[in-house]
Amino acid sequence: MSKLRNALRKVTVLSCTSAVAVFGVAACGSDDGSEASGGGEINISMTSFPDYIDPQLSYTLEGWEVLYNTYTPLLTYKHAKGEEGTSVVPGLAEEMPEISGDGKTYKLKLRSDMKYSDGTPIKASDFTYAIQRLFKADSGGSVFYSGIVGAPAYAEGTADTISGIVTDDNTGDITITLDSPNGTFENVLGLPFAAPVPPSTPLSDDATNNPPPSSGPFMITSVEAPQTMTLERNPNFQSVLDAGATEVADAGVDKIVVTQNKSNSAQVTGVEQNTIDFMVDPPDADRLQEVKTRFGERFRMEESINTYYFWMNNQTAPFNDVRVRQAVNYAIDPEALNRVFGGRMHPTQQVLPPGMPGYEEYKLYPGPDMNKAKALLAEANPADRDITVWTNDEPDRKRIGEYYHDVLNQMGFNATLKVIAGDVYFTTIGNQSTPDLDTGFGNWFQDFPHPDDFFRPLLNSDAILPTNGNNFSRASYPELDAKMNELLTKQLTDGDTEAQYAALDKAYMEQAAWAPYGNEQFTTFVSDRIDFDNAYHHLLFNQDWSALALK
Amino acid sequence: MLRFVVRRLIGMVGVLFAISVLVFLIFNVIPNSDPAARIAGKNADPELIARVSADLGLDQPLYVQYLTMMKQIFTGQLTSYASSQNVMEQIWKGLPATLSLCIGAAVLWMALAIWFGYLSAVHAGKFTDRALTVLSLVGISMPVFWLAAILLYYLSFKAELFPTSSYVALTKDPLDWAYHLILPWITLAVLYVGFYSRVLRTNMLDVMNDDHVRTARAKGISERQVRIKHVLRNSMIPIVTLFGLDFGAVVGGGAILTETVFNLNGVGLYAGQAIGTLDLPPLIGVTMFGAFFIVLFNTLVDVAYAFLDPRIRLGEAAPV
Amino acid sequence: MTTPPDAIEAPGDPVLPVGVPAAQIRGRSPWYLAWLRLRRNKVSLAFGVLFLLIVVFCLAAPLWADHVAHTGPNENHITDTVMIDGQQVDVVSPDGTPIGPGLHGRYLLGADQNGRDVMVRLMYGGRTSIFIGVAAAVITTVLAILVGLLCGYYRGWIDTALSRVMDVVWAFPVLLLGIALGTALALGGLKIGALQVAGDSLWIPILIIGMVYVPYIARPIRGEILALREKEFVEAAVAQGKGPVRIMVGELLPNVVSTVIVFFTLNIANNMLLESALSFLGAGVRAPNASWGTMIADGYQTIYTAPHLTIVPGVMIVLTVLSLNVFGDGLRDALDPRAKIRLEH
Repeated sequence: MSKLRNALRKVTVLSCTSAVAVFGVAACGSDDGSEASGGGEINISMTSFPDYIDPQLSYTLEGWEVLYNTYTPLLTYKHAKGEEGTSVVPGLAEEMPEISGDGKTYKLKLRSDMKYSDGTPIKASDFTYAIQRLFKADSGGSVFYSGIVGAPAYAEGTADTISGIVTDDNTGDITITLDSPNGTFENVLGLPFAAPVPPSTPLSDDATNNPPPSSGPFMITSVEAPQTMTLERNPNFQSVLDAGATEVADAGVDKIVVTQNKSNSAQVTGVEQNTIDFMVDPPDADRLQEVKTRFGERFRMEESINTYYFWMNNQTAPFNDVRVRQAVNYAIDPEALNRVFGGRMHPTQQVLPPGMPGYEEYKLYPGPDMNKAKALLAEANPADRDITVWTNDEPDRKRIGEYYHDVLNQMGFNATLKVIAGDVYFTTIGNQSTPDLDTGFGNWFQDFPHPDDFFRPLLNSDAILPTNGNNFSRASYPELDAKMNELLTKQLTDGDTEAQYAALDKAYMEQAAWAPYGNEQFTTFVSDRIDFDNAYHHLLFNQDWSALALK
Repeated sequence: MLRFVVRRLIGMVGVLFAISVLVFLIFNVIPNSDPAARIAGKNADPELIARVSADLGLDQPLYVQYLTMMKQIFTGQLTSYASSQNVMEQIWKGLPATLSLCIGAAVLWMALAIWFGYLSAVHAGKFTDRALTVLSLVGISMPVFWLAAILLYYLSFKAELFPTSSYVALTKDPLDWAYHLILPWITLAVLYVGFYSRVLRTNMLDVMNDDHVRTARAKGISERQVRIKHVLRNSMIPIVTLFGLDFGAVVGGGAILTETVFNLNGVGLYAGQAIGTLDLPPLIGVTMFGAFFIVLFNTLVDVAYAFLDPRIRLGEAAPV
Repeated sequence: MTTPPDAIEAPGDPVLPVGVPAAQIRGRSPWYLAWLRLRRNKVSLAFGVLFLLIVVFCLAAPLWADHVAHTGPNENHITDTVMIDGQQVDVVSPDGTPIGPGLHGRYLLGADQNGRDVMVRLMYGGRTSIFIGVAAAVITTVLAILVGLLCGYYRGWIDTALSRVMDVVWAFPVLLLGIALGTALALGGLKIGALQVAGDSLWIPILIIGMVYVPYIARPIRGEILALREKEFVEAAVAQGKGPVRIMVGELLPNVVSTVIVFFTLNIANNMLLESALSFLGAGVRAPNASWGTMIADGYQTIYTAPHLTIVPGVMIVLTVLSLNVFGDGLRDALDPRAKIRLEH
């Protein structure tokens, strides 16, 4: 998912206290699940408000952190920490899908008698409606579902429905047919994008100001973007539990109030002084040491699968010349950026991060080597040296932008820095009509543990969308696209699929489509009201709010 | 009197109209980038851009565009591009925080300014006066947001005397409300205390030598009574005038810095966020709101002044 | 010229010679009298000198950058090391902590989190802030004089029209107007006919700040001109057949020069405060450039561990604005001891 993770930094102080207490959060492993969940109210802070409060549209860490426990898809991810949390389990569907022999048909059955938070019944056709919204509302997640038969026709408007999805509201049967086998489809069904929503949700508009009724342990009771929002325990979630869903988690608190606070330092102080219960973003570099040493009993570092990079517009000058892009890769010093993050950004110069299947370490551009960079730039000698560098206003992003701006100027460019607010950064640079999109800050957090997640939305030509696109580099390499599509049809466990993904990684870096520099470590830092041992960091959704509970 | 009031009201409407035209020009004519780029907010695909263009009538002549904008403002239809929220609603929601901040600060600064100004005038030339003058001058030389940051750092982070987080509604908990607002009140007040105490001091020194004051003394009234009843009261009129203007300006947008640093969800912070997102409708909304407030207070002050001083309303003899 | 003995004539007035025949007393121009008054105001003069020292300090930025610090204001040195007391020290440590202030030539005030030399940034930032303050003050003053003269001389509908325009600009909250213009111009810059200014050029904040304060100065000037207009010397000039421009520039303008000088000084102070506010909010000077306002915004992020990064630029602003205010007050007392000039806020 997108880089908004950092946007998450702005994490609204959501009173995540709704801690998972209710559902024996998978985190602790015990799942008798019928313990009465705790109550109480907590508050959570974020540095950037989520991009959308809409399951079909949100594609940032901040957004998914909220949506994980408010909208349940047919399949979901286990509420567990570490790698266990990346396994797909049944959600609103009774069981894992029955896949046909040729790998193209998926059969699921919706559990019966489930209700949304407003009391309306959850129907099988709501799933179809959700997928339709992905296309009509121009979601960045639509790329994952365009392999469904009939989806492209529906997206273009030549069809009224998606022929590849057939549902029966009476029996709850759902049958999905794909164009070709897809090894990631189960993963993709577990993303918030595929969470059923009632047809009362606007088909082609953003529902942020009035989110649809929820199917998770929490419901969203008020949204005042971009300042605050409130989640409360979903009274009808019991209907989901009663229908037999064991892999979902119930709320641990009654109410969560999320607030945006642009000052990371103020948030750190708030958590230290217990006026804020949880901060979504890691403490800034200058407070990190202090928090580590003084508050170790409620702070820990967390692994996270992500890559931070600078995107460069592969299709327009000057970055359409591979030598220029390679020069940038030589010029950047990942160690410098690591220090900007207080030591939390492990240097890398590849697309895939460590921990992702298919990761193999290599270094194509040993450096930093400013001389080599200048030489390459001189060789390429682009006529247009006026470039615009984009970043957002979160403190560390701004510093990264200033560093990158300086590096580009030293290389010989005439760079201008543009700093935009975090909550609109990705939508702005993802919008093709924004002028001067030359290069800038980017990051990506894994949606599911499959390397295709890092390639398809970010580097595939189909991901160059008019809006909400994530291929900021406008990378378009047909041979590599073809390879990507071919690998998708295989299973990760087949022979040398992982090795081929590693080769694909190297191929993109030979083209220097990006200038990656690091993998960020995350943190959990809570107030002393929170049950620290049961709170856990989910590899895909940042903090699992259902696991937050008062002591 | 009535004619005067009516005249001023008409003047007020005139100025507001002119302001609306100015706002329109600033936001629609000056930026030379494609409106689509300005709309570069959420979900702005070519379809939406076309729709918004049609809504705004960007292909229409300027005066039609202006009328559309005014209609949107008056019917409360002004919608943010970035978040699709109704701008007027957001401003309405931000009012309690902004008013709490401004009114509290205003009470504080007037009280302190009158006290300091009085002391300065009474002890003119002596140590008290000099000390207060220095303080005043330093106060008006400080950037508001810097003072806010320093106070926040020393009194909130380090000394932990005051909370760091945001605004608590009065209706929720009056004590907490006040507790969260003390530092913002002090911050906002410091700037104005300096200025007003100096003005009061100057006025009082002028009035102290006036004939009517000498008469009062000659009548045998105690010095203290003379100072308060005669001198102070007469020095207050220009202060009230200035206060009206400044208060209008503070509510109208001067509080933005304090609100940003202290994270108070007021109208100012709303405008501040719109800067970052380059979201123009909220800025239009807040600017019109601010201008309206200032013009309103301007008019109120003029009317009050005319009420107190018959010379003003009888002729245009307003001293400049 | 005789040196006057110390005999006080009237409070605030310079001393006149005693025991010298009347015929030998030279007439003193009001300017000279004002200078004498100013000279006696030691405090004012001291602050005036302080302001000049600050300006010199900031102008010396390139010298410091080249010879002492060996770096520019925007150059990052995150992974560099610097020699201090014979040891190589990281400018920014691996955990992100920048070097602190100390007497080591380079990084005299320490580094910020991007490894930039804070002292160099402070000096360059000062140059930017003061430049913006002065340039904007020039624009404001010129415009205000223009408006004041036109209104005061012609009166009638020109006065009404311009006064209404001033009212409108006045009614805008200063900060919001600055932000509104700064934001509107941020994306595409300014294009009026042949005049083209880039979106991130310094001239954008200068123009904005310059325009915002015009009514505050135009109004008092207009008032003075209106009063002067009635005087006999103007009638005489008209009778002599002088045209409007000659009257405005030759007769009226010289009489308001003292007012203008005082306002100009105080206006620089206000402009610097406004610039720092706009830059702090992101609508003035843009990253990564330094101005005292942006430095406070940057420093605010690390206020907990490195408060000096916030305190120092703020103190510089306070000192500069304070010295301008005190000196401006002194000027006002010297040029107009009967306090006819009042700056309306």
